[in-house]
Amino acid sequence: MICVFCWVGWALLSKLGSEEIPPNTMQFLFTLGTIPVGLALLIARRGRLQKSRMGITYGVLNGILSGLGRLTLFAAYHTNANTTLITAATALYPMITVVLAITILREHFRPIQALGLVFAAIAFVIFSI
Amino acid sequence: MHIPLWLWYSILTLLAWGVVGLLQKLPTNHVSAESSLIWLIVGFLVIEPFFYPGSAVVHYSRVNLTYAVLSGLLNALGAWALFAALKSGGKASIVAPLTALYPVVVIALVPLILNESVKPLQWVGVACALIAVILLSA
Repeated sequence: MICVFCWVGWALLSKLGSEEIPPNTMQFLFTLGTIPVGLALLIARRGRLQKSRMGITYGVLNGILSGLGRLTLFAAYHTNANTTLITAATALYPMITVVLAITILREHFRPIQALGLVFAAIAFVIFSI
Repeated sequence: MHIPLWLWYSILTLLAWGVVGLLQKLPTNHVSAESSLIWLIVGFLVIEPFFYPGSAVVHYSRVNLTYAVLSGLLNALGAWALFAALKSGGKASIVAPLTALYPVVVIALVPLILNESVKPLQWVGVACALIAVILLSA
């Protein structure tokens, strides 16, 4: 519940801020907002940070890609298009994850996921009309 | 078929986040969830210099600047809460789909907070998207 509450606030504030502030500045300020949480986590762990090379590589890569994805989200909000449509369209990112997990990680493809992809495709066709 | 600009940007977002979704599974095999979140923030900081706005930032309203910084704070707190939920015994099969539904709450609040309206056909698209999110995270 806390997670959902926080992420709802994040989405709405992102839209409100993006009405005036351009995407690159939004991303810059967004990151400033994440620093206190990172510091609080470090303090909670008494400065102990696991330094596995693979863990660091994936973690930092996640941050870079996540930041670039957020930059284009801010750009979408900055176009003043409908927030509901942007939120619904960008929420569909698990469809890319599912396709990648099946093709790269060779995970099992479940029928329910196929149905999800069909609904996602219909949503995109409607959004582009 | 004309793809509007906002949809192009949204497609880029979901492509990047789709890869992130895959990569998120991998670091926790090597480090704890908290360490993953810290390294994620380090990743944000790596690209931070490219977005340095310089003195232009003083021209924006204080309210919107606050919104932008708060959005980052809430996003990271949400991620922390998600990791905490998983750490305190929450099943990933329940926690992940539940938290993936935050767009439903956003969509419910948009007409009230932002006074935006959506055409009937677009609501069908939104419904399809939300059904897809539920099915894909099930």
